[in-house]
Amino acid sequence: MRNKLFIFDPFSHTEYTYTGLIYSLNTSIEINKIIHSADYFEIFRDIILSIIYDIPITLIDYGLSQQELSNLGLNEEALSEKISIDNSNPIEISNLISLIKANRKWQITLYTSGTTGTPKRIAHSFESLTRSVRTGEHKSGDIWGLAYNPAHIAGLQVFFQALLNLNSIIRLFGSSRAEIYSHIKEYSITCISATPTFYRLLLPFEESFNNVKRITSGGEKFDTKLTEELRHIFPEAKLLNIYASTEAGTIFASVNDSFILKEEYNTLVKIVDLELCIHKNLVGISDEITFDNEWYRTGDLVEVINNNPLTIKFISRKNEMINVGGYKVNPTEVELSLNSHPGVALSRVFAKRNSITGNIVIAEVMIKEPGLEEKALRIFLSERLQLYKIPRIINFVDSIETTHTGKLRRS
Amino acid sequence: MRDIELLTEIINSIKDNNNTSRLDNIKPETNLRDQLSFDSLDLAELTVRIEQKFGVDIFENGVVLTVGEVLDKIKGRDEK
Repeated sequence: MRNKLFIFDPFSHTEYTYTGLIYSLNTSIEINKIIHSADYFEIFRDIILSIIYDIPITLIDYGLSQQELSNLGLNEEALSEKISIDNSNPIEISNLISLIKANRKWQITLYTSGTTGTPKRIAHSFESLTRSVRTGEHKSGDIWGLAYNPAHIAGLQVFFQALLNLNSIIRLFGSSRAEIYSHIKEYSITCISATPTFYRLLLPFEESFNNVKRITSGGEKFDTKLTEELRHIFPEAKLLNIYASTEAGTIFASVNDSFILKEEYNTLVKIVDLELCIHKNLVGISDEITFDNEWYRTGDLVEVINNNPLTIKFISRKNEMINVGGYKVNPTEVELSLNSHPGVALSRVFAKRNSITGNIVIAEVMIKEPGLEEKALRIFLSERLQLYKIPRIINFVDSIETTHTGKLRRS
Repeated sequence: MRDIELLTEIINSIKDNNNTSRLDNIKPETNLRDQLSFDSLDLAELTVRIEQKFGVDIFENGVVLTVGEVLDKIKGRDEK
């Protein structure tokens, strides 16, 4: 246990053992009120400290641009605010989990892409984040490949699954295909949770990895063909498909594309006009989520395969969010950014399908007078939007098509 | 223009947008991910641009790794 690896993060060139983590927990005298770091160890250490000392915190994606941060009201001062902690009670590896589980009022606030252009704040309790965590002796040897951004709910869920079993975490997020394979091999990773896009980039099959025992996929529509290919790369792995949202966390898990509702959620999930609705008892705490008589409308349209037990398949999204490899892009937000350039008269943002990331973002732009170049517009956008939201293809056009109701056409 | 020149144009327009340096010539053995450092968004953009130009989805039946494999897919379309 003494030298057991806690995390390896190739981007900050750091490897910390659990002993190193415990040392750092015991010697910290303050934590950031808002966690905004590129270093995964720092992020996770501050989360653990905030739980142990029952301090509510906010976690911000390090990829947000200056403009996006200031839209959220976060300036340099807010981001550097510290809270002192009284570290007189020693934390040990033997009491770490019980100290974490003893938290009473801890909450973590995340931001999710909203439909109106401003991200929604959603606070999660320890219970809601760890609802799907499974612990036990048979999980104590798991080694997790972290393929999600830790500032998103899916990344946090992997973190808690690993932490509560005192497992090792290997950062795979952001690495190239060759690096990912080498980490899977070198660290004998046993479990990976990722989006279909992440798995698609591991193709084509070249070599089998028998050490991987579990593969979880979520965030995008299930892809049967991809599953077949993954069976060659990870022949020993059990494949699981999950449905989760920032608002509610993990709700469904399935071995194929039909999801069976667990009995305990019978009264907490219902389908109204094909739309999946989740009871507010399962949803994080936020002033910015509107409930329809205690029900949160997810915007996900489903097909009911069976009523008892409730079995569904996902069809599509009701609203216009563009899913780029598991990341949600709100076209309205991108249009507002484009339109805020003084040289732009009007813009239209829409999705174009592809077999790698599901969709990419495309923009049509009408300019006020000749002279505005694509390069300048891209620099302008990069100061305002996260990378995945910036249109990959920008077409300059003379007119922009609208629907008969005068709305911009999205497809 | 030959397919390889059109493809070089497409690859360079993606590199322009990423602020990385243009390539004078690409070779069939050039690896899209290892040598061009294309990530998932770059590859997605590449497939969409190739589909617009040549009407073929290069990743439709699995992932391609090199420029030569992309050219084969484009050529395969002509022979259909």
